[in-house]
Amino acid sequence: MSDQIIKPDLKFTEAIIAAGGESLKKCYQCSTCTVVCDVTPDRKPFPRKEMLYAQWGLKDKLLASPDVWLCHQCSDCTAHCPRGAKPGEVLGAVRKMTIQEYSSPSCMGKMVNDAKFAILLFAIPTIIFLFELFIQGHLTNGIPRIPNGQLMSYSLMFPPTAYIDPVFVLTAIFAVVMFYKGVKKYWAAMAANHPEPPRKDVISAVIATIQEILTHSVFEKCGVAKDRSIAHKIVFYSFVGLAITTALAASYIYVFNYNGPYPQTNIVKWIGNVSGIALLVGITMVILNRFKNQEKSGIGSYFDWFFIFIVYGVGLTGMLAQILRLANIPVLGYPMYFAHLVFVFVLFAYAPYSKMAHMVYRTTAMVFAKYSNRS
Amino acid sequence: MEKKLALYICKGCSIGDAIKTEKMENLAKNKYKCAIAKTSDALCGEDGLAMIKADIAAEGVNTLVLAACSGRVKYEEFDFPGCIVERVPVRELAVWTQEKSDAQLAFEDYVQMGIIKAQKGDMPEPYLMETVKDILVIGGGISGMNAALQAAEAGSKVVLVEKEAALGGFVSKLYKKIPTALPYKEPLIVDAEIEPTIKAVESNANIKVFKSAKVEKIEGQPGAFDVTITANGGSEQVRIGAIILAAGWKPYDASKLGHLGYGKYKNVVTQVELEEIARKGGITRPSDGKPAKKVAFIQCAGQRDANHLPYCSAMCCVTSLKQAKYVRQDPEAVAMILYKDIRTPGRLEYYYKEAQNDPGVMLTKAEVSGVTEGPDGNLFVEMTDSLLGSAVKLEADLVVLATGMVPATADDPVLNLQYRQGPGLPDLELFNGFADSNFICFQYETRRTGVYAAGAVRQPMNMSEAQEDATGAALKAIQSAEHVATGMAVHPRAWDLTYPDPMMTRCTSCKRCTEECPFGAIDEDEKGTPYFKPGRCRRCGTCMGACPERIVSFKDFHVDMIGSMMKACSVPDDEDEPRILVVCCENDAYPAIDTAALQKTKIDPAVRFVTLRCLGSMNLVWLADSFSRGVDGMLLMGCKFGENYQCHFAKGSELANYRLGKVQETLDRLQLESDRVKMVEVAIDEYGKVPQMIADFVEKIKDIGPNPFKGM
Amino acid sequence: MQTSDKPSRILVIGGGFSGLTTAVDAAESGAEVIIVEKNAYLGGRVAQLNKYFPKMCPPVCGLEINFRRIKTNPNVTFHTMAEVTSIAGEPGNYDVTIQVHPRMVNSKCTACNACAEVCPATRSNDFNFGMDTTKAAYLPFNQAFPQHYVIDTKACKKDCGTPCKDACTYGAIDLDMKPETLTLKVNSIVVTTGWNPYDADKIETLGSGKVPNVISNMQMERLAAVNGPTGGAINRPSDGKPVQKIAFVQCAGSRDENHLAFCSYICCMASLKQTLYVREQNPEAEVSIFYIDMRTPGRYEKFLNQIQADQKVTFIKGKVAKIERAKGGDVTVTAEDMLTGDKVEKTFDMVVLATGMEPAGMSHQIPGVNYVEGFAASAAGVYAAGCGRNPMDVSKSAQDATSAALKAIQAGKGR
Repeated sequence: MSDQIIKPDLKFTEAIIAAGGESLKKCYQCSTCTVVCDVTPDRKPFPRKEMLYAQWGLKDKLLASPDVWLCHQCSDCTAHCPRGAKPGEVLGAVRKMTIQEYSSPSCMGKMVNDAKFAILLFAIPTIIFLFELFIQGHLTNGIPRIPNGQLMSYSLMFPPTAYIDPVFVLTAIFAVVMFYKGVKKYWAAMAANHPEPPRKDVISAVIATIQEILTHSVFEKCGVAKDRSIAHKIVFYSFVGLAITTALAASYIYVFNYNGPYPQTNIVKWIGNVSGIALLVGITMVILNRFKNQEKSGIGSYFDWFFIFIVYGVGLTGMLAQILRLANIPVLGYPMYFAHLVFVFVLFAYAPYSKMAHMVYRTTAMVFAKYSNRS
Repeated sequence: MEKKLALYICKGCSIGDAIKTEKMENLAKNKYKCAIAKTSDALCGEDGLAMIKADIAAEGVNTLVLAACSGRVKYEEFDFPGCIVERVPVRELAVWTQEKSDAQLAFEDYVQMGIIKAQKGDMPEPYLMETVKDILVIGGGISGMNAALQAAEAGSKVVLVEKEAALGGFVSKLYKKIPTALPYKEPLIVDAEIEPTIKAVESNANIKVFKSAKVEKIEGQPGAFDVTITANGGSEQVRIGAIILAAGWKPYDASKLGHLGYGKYKNVVTQVELEEIARKGGITRPSDGKPAKKVAFIQCAGQRDANHLPYCSAMCCVTSLKQAKYVRQDPEAVAMILYKDIRTPGRLEYYYKEAQNDPGVMLTKAEVSGVTEGPDGNLFVEMTDSLLGSAVKLEADLVVLATGMVPATADDPVLNLQYRQGPGLPDLELFNGFADSNFICFQYETRRTGVYAAGAVRQPMNMSEAQEDATGAALKAIQSAEHVATGMAVHPRAWDLTYPDPMMTRCTSCKRCTEECPFGAIDEDEKGTPYFKPGRCRRCGTCMGACPERIVSFKDFHVDMIGSMMKACSVPDDEDEPRILVVCCENDAYPAIDTAALQKTKIDPAVRFVTLRCLGSMNLVWLADSFSRGVDGMLLMGCKFGENYQCHFAKGSELANYRLGKVQETLDRLQLESDRVKMVEVAIDEYGKVPQMIADFVEKIKDIGPNPFKGM
Repeated sequence: MQTSDKPSRILVIGGGFSGLTTAVDAAESGAEVIIVEKNAYLGGRVAQLNKYFPKMCPPVCGLEINFRRIKTNPNVTFHTMAEVTSIAGEPGNYDVTIQVHPRMVNSKCTACNACAEVCPATRSNDFNFGMDTTKAAYLPFNQAFPQHYVIDTKACKKDCGTPCKDACTYGAIDLDMKPETLTLKVNSIVVTTGWNPYDADKIETLGSGKVPNVISNMQMERLAAVNGPTGGAINRPSDGKPVQKIAFVQCAGSRDENHLAFCSYICCMASLKQTLYVREQNPEAEVSIFYIDMRTPGRYEKFLNQIQADQKVTFIKGKVAKIERAKGGDVTVTAEDMLTGDKVEKTFDMVVLATGMEPAGMSHQIPGVNYVEGFAASAAGVYAAGCGRNPMDVSKSAQDATSAALKAIQAGKGR
């Protein structure tokens, strides 16, 4: 007999419940969920076993498994669950806890996931950017002074090279380092928990993962929440588009020394605008889908909505800032751009702790799953 | 009653097309002295019925032979109060199942048999004796108390005997129970509240309670049981009409569960012991009195297990869920339930769901292979085939074994009946000692008339089921006392006013009847002479079939009657035309034949059917007589017997089969082949098979050749 | 108890096994009982069953005894094709209205079958769950009680009834029969309205109504019954092929909040029983039973052990949640075998869904009767028993109905 000793952890179960898995105790282990799930592997499928681990508080089994990330929360399981145990929601909660578990510093994880700290989180970039305005002397009695009478250009208040980009470069470095630390721990935990020898090398696992992400080939198998994969795809590609836009803009400035604002006919504008509109459309679809599927798959937690809010904020403030600039309404335009900077900061700086982190953890898990022949 | 016979032949339903009636009418009048022999185009029609009624009124006929359809139909039309009515199913047996060429002879045979039956039968006169209707309830637990209260509510006087010093049974030992009514919402554990029930029983003027008491012996019969109760060193005799056995259960002996650590480790307890621990306040460990924080419940401990109790006790899953809530009164403690299958049938599923919906109540399917102790006194439950892994251990500081229910009757007859056949209920071994019914449709049937079991002594069940069960048993007890008071049988012949009336002067005290009676209705006196207790009798006629002296008779059913009917049946002289008598049970085999007839299935013309109350009443003399007059074969059709017997009289068909084993002697004496007689088991839905069974038998008889006694 | 008082008058609503039991037990205790049954025959669901578990004995056996008790007991009367439309009054004193639907055949019927022989119209046979047809003039089934034919007015249009009317020489056919309203005074009422098989078509994932050769457990009863559409041969509906590989899908709609949240009590035992039908008929047949928990309480465990011992029967712990059409009329079933932790996909000739019992009160409620989530609930004077009250098997129904008889008698006592 194996010496594996099961150590139930009531605290962990309670934590999952608190994290949005309040229905997890309703599961009576029928495995309807695993069968209706079109994205699970046939061997050791999820989410039935995860539901059991969650009920017993088996933290090690849950947080060191790639499976929770193979779930795309299609909610087919939740819709067909005979007990209303909402496995999709529970796995969502476990994913959130995975991010919190591996991200550091852990206090950041808690803050990002707690509505009480929302104002503080937004206050940090607000103060940073106000401080930059102060240094440039754009503040009068602590109130920003809007440049008037000139052609509107946000670089007047926020010069990219000197003030904006350094902030974001530092933010990005922070995020990357934090992600790296988290992913390293996560990979090690998964490897320890899955002693079976890998069947694939990491490189081909990465390639296969990227292919899967680009095509959304697994996500598309979702039944009940089919629309979600479309919405996600739009948001995903809009982020890709925006990343290209940012890269292009950076090369204009730093390589070609060509400063904005750029004419609307410029390629960077094209890509940026299409991506920005797609982002807004996509994220609106995400919100509508959540309401539409509320009954069958649940509305989601603060963790979900915080992320949706940020993405929506980034897209909306970005588009509005551009429109206000073109319409030449500086009194609204400059504050809007300020807001945009704050949102973008929030998106990147807190990415290792917010739902944005799913991008990294899910990818890691997918690679691991392929590497360990799990999917 | 001065009998005046009348024969009425129906010509409807194509009877008239297949047969000629004149010969029969003449035979009836001349040979059988019928006052009237008439035909009708539709005897069940207004004209036909009016004709019969007019004859009853004007001619005073009172014994009516109706050669028409089966007695299973048109029973309302052919109901003539005050008259003996013999229904001869010529439609089914002579017309629908026979080719036209064979119908006439079959018709004549059946009608003559019917006339003889009517001639030989009499109106029943009930057996009346002095009876009481008081009810004895054995057991003062939840079932017994409810049975007593329900019977008292219905107006009966009740005597309740409890072996303990106080009423209440297991319920009084509980810390909490599950809520009695839906919906199952928090709190999922509520006070057991047995006190009001105990008070209601003890204060009820119609209920006399004996505590610390035992039923020493029960003599007599339903309506007049003499029950000796011993209590407080003294003994008292009471007269009782009917008995409810609600002696309950005891927990399975956990000391046999050493592999689960019981007896070895102090912190392994049973569910029953956990109730006691909980009653003392808080779930603590017996070893050190510390609060238990990790409690493992092992379901089916010594149950569903060929080495222990092979059955499921049906209530342990809910009990463990309930006890998990005891554990969870400490918010830091966890209850871990290890089950084979969670069994919360019906709406108990809701209880499962609610009890489970607690972070500290954890469940998994598992096969527990053993319990070991760690160095710190903690226990390790070893499991295989669990959902948590195929071979894992679970650490617990207290282990609770869900041991099963053992009925009080498993090793103690409890009733202490002073019956020739023994002190307890028969058939207990079929049900692992439970006093259960063999009949799916008739849950309160026992093989001791007037004795009805209720609660956990009957089947494993929970408290609310036990209360319902007790109510039903109360009805059955009341009903049986009522019936015996009017001389009427109880189930399954709950209409029957006849009773066995042996001619004792010819009894040889061979004791076959006393041994064979499925209901223990016949005792023996000091000299060994059978002594019939009609109150215990179900009127199956097994005694009549058993008696070699043929002395047991019912008013409308006796050896001579059936024998004479058989004698009235034609035996063709032609050696190619065998005559086979099919003796069948009226409850199942006959309805099957009736159904075959309804479908116009043809049956071999060699056979003539004779129906009996039960095949148990089959007397071997009929075989001897029939064979000696040239009948070629005898086929007996009875119900399935053995473990899952279907005979409504429990043993009838089996006994008929047993007697056939002894018929060889008779056949040898007649120098006949033993294959000329055969018994087959026929269920009521085997109407499709009956014609073939018969054809096969006829074929076999033809192979054997004609009976040499033919024509002698 | 009744002999000195005026007897209780009890109305029993529903003439299935529970109702019959209440009726005979109450009547044999001295009460006067009226049974109201909506079908054209007594016996209810059990009349449609092939065998009872665990004895494998025919249900008509017990029915026959109860019918005989009714025939011989003047205290019991019954109305078939009748429904209770209103109940007014209080315990001990109820006024009940009953609507009797026209049978078009009166009690002069001798069940000679002459009408059916000439009847030109056919109807889908609801007794066999539509798996075959009968004539519009029909006997509900061969052992029906009362043994009187019925004319299905929906199938018998306008002049269509003339040939059978002419064929009947007993004047039993009355094509002008009208619905009748009866009023009764009773002291107490017992509601034994039973259950309906849950409509498996509502379960999206299990293929019922979409995938051929997916049938319900009640259809399986008829398929195995000698008076069923195939004469008892277990052949699959699409092509009549004898079944070699069959799956039983437990909890098809039961223990499921999207359907019936409760456990239907009987389905585990029913599938084990039906496994035996298949195995006894075909020694080569292979059976797979997919389940969540095998619920065989009490001594039913022995029956489970018996089936478990059969090498050709496989038990898979895992609920089926996907059933699809396969080649040539076969059916593919997917489940997770929880003990290996892998998904299994198997193909069968036929799949039986162990659909549960929906209490009658979920689809039709009798005014004046108390219901809780579709289950009839006992109240003073109006008692519920059998499967309309709680999911239970036949033996529990019989027991429950006997209890209800006493309560009904008590309620009517001395009034």
